[in-house]
Amino acid sequence: MADAAIHDHGHQDHPGFFTRWFMSTNHKDIGILYLWVSGVAGFVAVAFTVYMRMELMYPGVQYMCLEGARLFPAADPTTCTPNGHLWNILITYHGILMMFFVVIPALFGGFGNFLMPLQIGAPDMAFPRMNNLSFWLYVAGTSLGVASMLAPGGDGQTGAGVGWVMYPPLSTSDGGMAMDLAIFAVHLSGASSILGAINMITTFLNMRAPGMTLFKVPLFAWSIFVTAWLILLALPVLAGAITMLLTDRNFGTTFFQPSGGGDPVLYQHILWFFGHPEVYIVIIPGFGIISHVIATFSRKPIFGYLPMVWAMIAIGALGFVVWAHHMYTAGMSLTQQSYFMLATMVIAVPTGVKIFSWIATMWGGSVEFKTPMLWAMGFIFLFTVGGVTGIVLSQAAVDRVYHDTYYVVAHFHYVMSLGAVFAIFAGIYFYLPKLTGKMIPEWAGRTHFVLMFVGANITFFPQHFLGRQGMPRRYIDYPEAFATWNYVSSIGAFIAFASFLFFIVVLFWVLLTKPRTAPANPWNEWADTLEWTLPSPPPAHTFEVLPTREQWDRHPHADKTAH
Amino acid sequence: MPYAWAEGRDAAPGEPGAVRTLRLWPFRSLPPAGFALFFAATAALAALPLLLVLGTAVLWFVLVPMVAVVAGTWWALRLTYRSAEVEEELVVRPDRLTLTRRERRGGERRWEANPHWVRAALHPRGGPVPNYLTLSGAGRTVEIGAFLSEEERVALKAEIEDALRRAR
Repeated sequence: MADAAIHDHGHQDHPGFFTRWFMSTNHKDIGILYLWVSGVAGFVAVAFTVYMRMELMYPGVQYMCLEGARLFPAADPTTCTPNGHLWNILITYHGILMMFFVVIPALFGGFGNFLMPLQIGAPDMAFPRMNNLSFWLYVAGTSLGVASMLAPGGDGQTGAGVGWVMYPPLSTSDGGMAMDLAIFAVHLSGASSILGAINMITTFLNMRAPGMTLFKVPLFAWSIFVTAWLILLALPVLAGAITMLLTDRNFGTTFFQPSGGGDPVLYQHILWFFGHPEVYIVIIPGFGIISHVIATFSRKPIFGYLPMVWAMIAIGALGFVVWAHHMYTAGMSLTQQSYFMLATMVIAVPTGVKIFSWIATMWGGSVEFKTPMLWAMGFIFLFTVGGVTGIVLSQAAVDRVYHDTYYVVAHFHYVMSLGAVFAIFAGIYFYLPKLTGKMIPEWAGRTHFVLMFVGANITFFPQHFLGRQGMPRRYIDYPEAFATWNYVSSIGAFIAFASFLFFIVVLFWVLLTKPRTAPANPWNEWADTLEWTLPSPPPAHTFEVLPTREQWDRHPHADKTAH
Repeated sequence: MPYAWAEGRDAAPGEPGAVRTLRLWPFRSLPPAGFALFFAATAALAALPLLLVLGTAVLWFVLVPMVAVVAGTWWALRLTYRSAEVEEELVVRPDRLTLTRRERRGGERRWEANPHWVRAALHPRGGPVPNYLTLSGAGRTVEIGAFLSEEERVALKAEIEDALRRAR
């Protein structure tokens, strides 16, 4: 029999720095770790883009020379032989880092870990030690990715410059071991994401507070669940595809080698079966954050909660049946192309439901232009622009012209680079008081936002023009005719990078010098999910006693009429 | 409500008076129907890439990780159910009070006392959880419903006292 234990249990663990951060099983600490590591990886990936935009600023090759990469252009252009391999390395690792090691870990690993258990009133994740394993697999994967860049690769240089999609036969014939290391990096990242997803799904399904049925769960927790479900179904397919690349490279199989009866296009099908859900894995947690920010600063409940949830589920499910719209030019029958075109266009419906619901939430609300709200509104604008060009690209006939041009680059950077990154920044400004107890001053947040919004648009909007002019992606150089908009685009990239550096300085300044003075809820009573009932920052252990309905099912308008 | 009274079961032969049984178990938010629905949807979508490569050797490279992942999720969810397999059962008879605690590991533990002398006590503070509920009798103090919510234990105390009164 369990004998009663009545005594003061005032003992609280005070782990040392190493124990707390290196052996952590606490979902909040692991979330913060994810944010830090993805921030560092993000800085590396962004630095690559600045170097690439420097190179593309003027026609000709000024920086990426075979004689050695330069930071300042040579006075005599004849001393520079273009080094296409270096260019390929930069685009490849920019893509791999951003897709696998920056955005997903930040949104899903970082915000998801920290906030999802709090929003559903769970004391921690279902499997805290597996959570620790996920994080360290992610760190190991990131390290392998960086190692791959420095390891001997193709063209007698370092790194594997095959593009993040790793299409055979290029990836299977690339020399050296850089490609193998990149494959292992993606394997580890996949294992980390899958373990994380199993953990999130179990937590979400079985550890919600009593009375919190599925359609009472806050939208961010829902977005994390949908994302976890997509990871669960998409990542195993990727694991299979790259394992076959590995055996083709090292064990003489010919899955993707026509000489041995294999089919390189099959790889594209399998990769994009993973790849299209992947882009929703990147963006859906952003939808969750944006919904909370918009509702809070419009002082209204989110418009159409139930359609919002179903839209996320529909986007996730539809994401699995549209993969071949990435491959219109790879050779498909007319019927196949028609199907994938129509299925792709259908995604505009649930996405439209979300965009219009956000606008309807703001409609008639008392909108407050605090920094997180600026980022959220920026997100809606940029994501809509990217969505509209997505509809253009979804048409198989039009895609013949746009395929592999800068139009595509502009499209996916509008939805992912700008969409997901603006969601991350909205989340950082919105939740930093909750994460650390410290507020970033409004002036700093607004400056960052304005610079980034202007810079990002100047970077990517002209790339639509370049694409329409016919400039192909993934090249180190271009003819004179594309010079104008490339110059403008590079200026925009420098502005955006300046805003990023400004943010980093501000973040360290706030973290190092500001006191922890943020109240439990620094915004307003419409920030009504469970995490705002806790102190900022929350104590190490939260909701060891399950929260009651009055705590999570609050109606601010009822308070208002009572006053 | 993760506890329930089995009302007024007739006395078994040889037992005096009515018997009331209280069962308590920890809260889990996913009902069995939800479990089935989740895996139905997951299996349906997981079948899609497998159909794509059916009949080729590639199938095995997709099938193995897919089965591993879906099985892993299944196992993880079952594990959270199993960790909830702590059950407490309180049987109130006029002459005997029996509290049985069944855990997944550690089997069954039992405490018996005379309902006339049993006292229920609520400890708002000082226990491992707020509103810690204990029963004292036969020289021991034991906990009951430590995994319930605070309010449930407050309500439960009144209900247990009522049951004890009726048994006396």
